[in-house]
Amino acid sequence: MEIIGPVLVSGITTGALYALATLGLSLVWGSLGMLNMAHGTLLTIGGYAAFTAASQLGLPVPLAVLAAVIVGGLIGALIFVLVAYPLSRRSPETFETTIMIATFGVALTLENTVLRLYGGQPLGQPLSVPGAISLGAFVLPWQNLIIIVSAIALMGATALFLTRTKMGRAIRATAQNPDAAKLMGVPVAQVYLQVLILSGMLAGVCGVLVSSITQLSPSLGADPMLKAFIMCVVAGLGNLPGAIITSFGLAIVEALVQFLAGARWGFPALLAIVILVLIRRPGGLFGRVDVRRL
Amino acid sequence: MAEAPDTPCLAVNGLVTGYDARNVLTGVSLSLKSGELVTVVGPNGHGKSTLLRAISGLLPVRKGSVSLNGNVISGLPAHRVAANGVIHVPQGDLLFAGMSVLENLLMGAYLDSDRAAVTRRLDEVFTLLPKLAERQTQIAASLSGGERRMVGIGRGLMMKGTVMLIDEPSLGLAPIIIEQIYDVITRLKASGRTILLVEENPARVADIADRIHLLDNGAFVWSGEPAVLLERDELLATYLGG
Repeated sequence: MEIIGPVLVSGITTGALYALATLGLSLVWGSLGMLNMAHGTLLTIGGYAAFTAASQLGLPVPLAVLAAVIVGGLIGALIFVLVAYPLSRRSPETFETTIMIATFGVALTLENTVLRLYGGQPLGQPLSVPGAISLGAFVLPWQNLIIIVSAIALMGATALFLTRTKMGRAIRATAQNPDAAKLMGVPVAQVYLQVLILSGMLAGVCGVLVSSITQLSPSLGADPMLKAFIMCVVAGLGNLPGAIITSFGLAIVEALVQFLAGARWGFPALLAIVILVLIRRPGGLFGRVDVRRL
Repeated sequence: MAEAPDTPCLAVNGLVTGYDARNVLTGVSLSLKSGELVTVVGPNGHGKSTLLRAISGLLPVRKGSVSLNGNVISGLPAHRVAANGVIHVPQGDLLFAGMSVLENLLMGAYLDSDRAAVTRRLDEVFTLLPKLAERQTQIAASLSGGERRMVGIGRGLMMKGTVMLIDEPSLGLAPIIIEQIYDVITRLKASGRTILLVEENPARVADIADRIHLLDNGAFVWSGEPAVLLERDELLATYLGG
């Protein structure tokens, strides 16, 4: 337990972060068929927004997190209004490709804006909580516990929102069949906007949580974005519950590989799993080959 | 503004629409008075479903117009056409496959914020289509073809609307299921619903349709009472394969 305990804590904490990052990415893919390459940058901006609110404006922690949520949601909305919506109207046939390139451009622009505003030096996120709980040989740092609980609570709240509210039902309906949703009176473009806002808000909080156990830097969101993409592919693109289960599973595998074989083998092991899964099940663990929407 | 007493519930005038560069409908006109059931019959691929898609706003109208109670609705996006009172039960159901039967039905009431009214309509749907009450927690993707068609009709009935457009409700179903579906449509007609029905077989609607339009190559080639059409063997042979 002395050895495996910290590995499990690390794996579950990383899994919670991957799952939260994957949730937003998968939600947008499942609804709009859009791979948002700027999703990682939304995490970065969320982290910096909380840093600015707490360190520079002196706001209390809840308001700093709220700032990250608002800024993430706002940028998500701007990505839809200024980029995704015009591209989907102008060339719906090529949307999946053009939006990937366009959001990659958005990511570069935002990352360089952060670099210009805050510099390239890593900054400490002031929202970290020191200390740990000891349960015999098992030591659980408070910060990890906060991350795990926050991520699970956010995923639970998102699931409740999608299944129990009228707006959530409209999002799922639109993802499953946009034409049928229109016939029910659902303003589909407005639903897509809501999805981008929700995804941006989740990314904002995720950025705060990631930066609370690492450090703030302009490329903060790059690694979670890459891992989130891997989780989405392994789970089956657009499959939300599958993405969450996969995130926890692969993060624990990654932590174990890092512990047993060395830190540098963690990522190659993940990629090897992706390749094996895609050879055996091209649609992902929880997806179907022909399914691309929620 | 109060509508004139003779204003049709639904009026389609000189409708031209199509896909890409090709016009599928080349000038279709029809009208329905309140409580009427009008049927469009014709061979496959000649524009029957396209007509309904154009009326409900899923397909842009290139020329002509569609009016509901005297108000032009062509040019509006589909969600606003639905909000104006056009209920479209599409071919192939277009259900929300990953949602339960109940969720599919509740999506029909998306525009209605009156919870009591929604509950009342849900009870009415379950009374008319009791199988849906039994299957309400079942995921739509796991239903049989007939059950899916029932959900499509039930979902349409959950909407508050003026006109129902029903697209080939018998397509691909076993005769006994077709009979059940037409029993429901007959009851809807008896309850005073205004219905534009697309069907391949005119014999099926002979007892319930007020008028039939025969559509061929994007235009109506014959219009009249169902009984008359059924006596016109040459028309049936030419356009509907006998």
